Amino acid sequence: MLVIVASRHDKAAEALVANWAAHGHSVSLLTPEDLSVVGWRHYLSSIDVGDRGESTTSSTSFSSAVVGGVAISTTGCANALDQITGVLTRLPSIFEQELLHIVPDDRAYIATEMNAFLIAWLSSLKCPVLNRPTPTYLLGPAWRPEQWVYAAAQLGIPVRPVRRQSSMSANVCAQVLEKSSVKVTVVGDRCLGEVEKTLASHARRIADAAEVDLLTVHFSSSESPAEFLGADLWTDISAPDVGDAILEYLSGGDAKC
Amino acid sequence: MLILLWGITEESPLAAVHSELTSLGIPSVFLDQRDILDTEIELSVGNILDLPVQGQIRTWYQKIDLSEITAAYLRPYDSRRLPQIAQAGVNSPAWQHAIAVDDTLMSWSEMTPAFVINRPSAMAANGSKPYQLEQIRSLGFKVPETLVTTDPEAVRSFWKLHGDIIYKSISGIRSKVSRVGIEHLERLDNVSWCPTQFQQYIPGRDYRVHVVGTEIFASEVISQADDYRYAAENDESTEIRACHLPEEVEQQCRVLAKAINLPLCGIDLRRTPGGDWYCFEVNPSPGFTYYQQFTGQPISTAIANLLAGKNRI
Repeated sequence: MLVIVASRHDKAAEALVANWAAHGHSVSLLTPEDLSVVGWRHYLSSIDVGDRGESTTSSTSFSSAVVGGVAISTTGCANALDQITGVLTRLPSIFEQELLHIVPDDRAYIATEMNAFLIAWLSSLKCPVLNRPTPTYLLGPAWRPEQWVYAAAQLGIPVRPVRRQSSMSANVCAQVLEKSSVKVTVVGDRCLGEVEKTLASHARRIADAAEVDLLTVHFSSSESPAEFLGADLWTDISAPDVGDAILEYLSGGDAKC
Repeated sequence: MLILLWGITEESPLAAVHSELTSLGIPSVFLDQRDILDTEIELSVGNILDLPVQGQIRTWYQKIDLSEITAAYLRPYDSRRLPQIAQAGVNSPAWQHAIAVDDTLMSWSEMTPAFVINRPSAMAANGSKPYQLEQIRSLGFKVPETLVTTDPEAVRSFWKLHGDIIYKSISGIRSKVSRVGIEHLERLDNVSWCPTQFQQYIPGRDYRVHVVGTEIFASEVISQADDYRYAAENDESTEIRACHLPEEVEQQCRVLAKAINLPLCGIDLRRTPGGDWYCFEVNPSPGFTYYQQFTGQPISTAIANLLAGKNRI
């Protein structure tokens, strides 16, 4: 089963689920509401026997999850989470605005708790996860624009310098984000976009530096020596080639750039 | 050499380290958050090949060139909580400026080649206790059996299995560690609203271990409370005294701190009556002065020396 972790308002995620399902894939949407359903069991133990580090002190000590409102149950002695074969994460974090089923006074705290839980749970999965979360962000490393430019510069990639300033007294212009003229979407070893091979290679190297397999990289033009402008962990999954590449990646494909 | 300290000047750990740096004659600059409205900050990245990160901080009394900073000790509060910012109101220019200053400095602290105690990205693991616990477990420490669940039945089974369990928050929001008792039975169904963390209760003696680079400062905590930090609330006493750990446990603490990229951290251990050592948590911004006042251990001196380049792993 493939899982897409997304807001229930994420139409692109909904469309991707429908598309993959239409092609015969088992796929479900996991939304923040699923975290308020009986059925989640996430175990952690010092006794590292199973490949998931779960305790064998009790036959009930198998982790389980709830996806699309349905608890994924164990089949015999198999671990329920083994049924999940790939995960695409579309939620940067859990926002309290998503939790309308929680009383208003508790929403902020519950959102923080759910977010902390998802970081641990997604990190514990053995299947492909696009992208693996970091403690700062469900989509990967929460790098600011400066950090992306810094990472690219460290790799020797030509960059468009970024500058920001803040002052209460001086007249400071708001930072204007560069308009991308060309983008490359990295999905595993595939680089999607009409760019020179060198730029595709740059994009993959930046993804490596960030330790992610799903990344959209922006350049000033499609040919060298184009400048690196920035990168997004939030990818346009409505593009058919991107959706197909993600499916292939999560299904264990290894197509190259 | 120039050390940057960022936070509130009177905040005990920062003040202690600042005082030590001054005593040792190590040049330092203090960026007091209360000057936030008067703080101007600039950050540039990618302009010069051999100096990819440049920046400057200006206040009414000082100018700090960020490329001159060789080490930094960061203990900032969320600037939005400062009285003058809170009073200005959400989304006011002051509010936005506070966010911008905080974020710019956080961004700088992730990129700078300076030695940073501690980089925010390394500290973030403490914001997901089960995530951090898995880090701790993977590095060889025993950890309590843990269950995070929305299933009341799973809690009952876990409780039955371990006999004595505690619950605590999953995130970094500080919550008191509490033992699950009969009085919680009727509220157990509430776990279905949000994953809740339960742990096997580990009996024994608490230890706080401060790792400062290669140095280890261990304190033994004698308290009857489930969470000694809140012992006073229940009229329970807490005694803290300096102690020595077995060499292999000390080494495990060093390995853990290095692996999770925290040159300064406070590791919470418990030794069971049977002699097993369990690790509960790693605090990435420890309030070490609380322990230092009881034990007399020179932790602030060690931090000052670490910032100056000594005892780094």
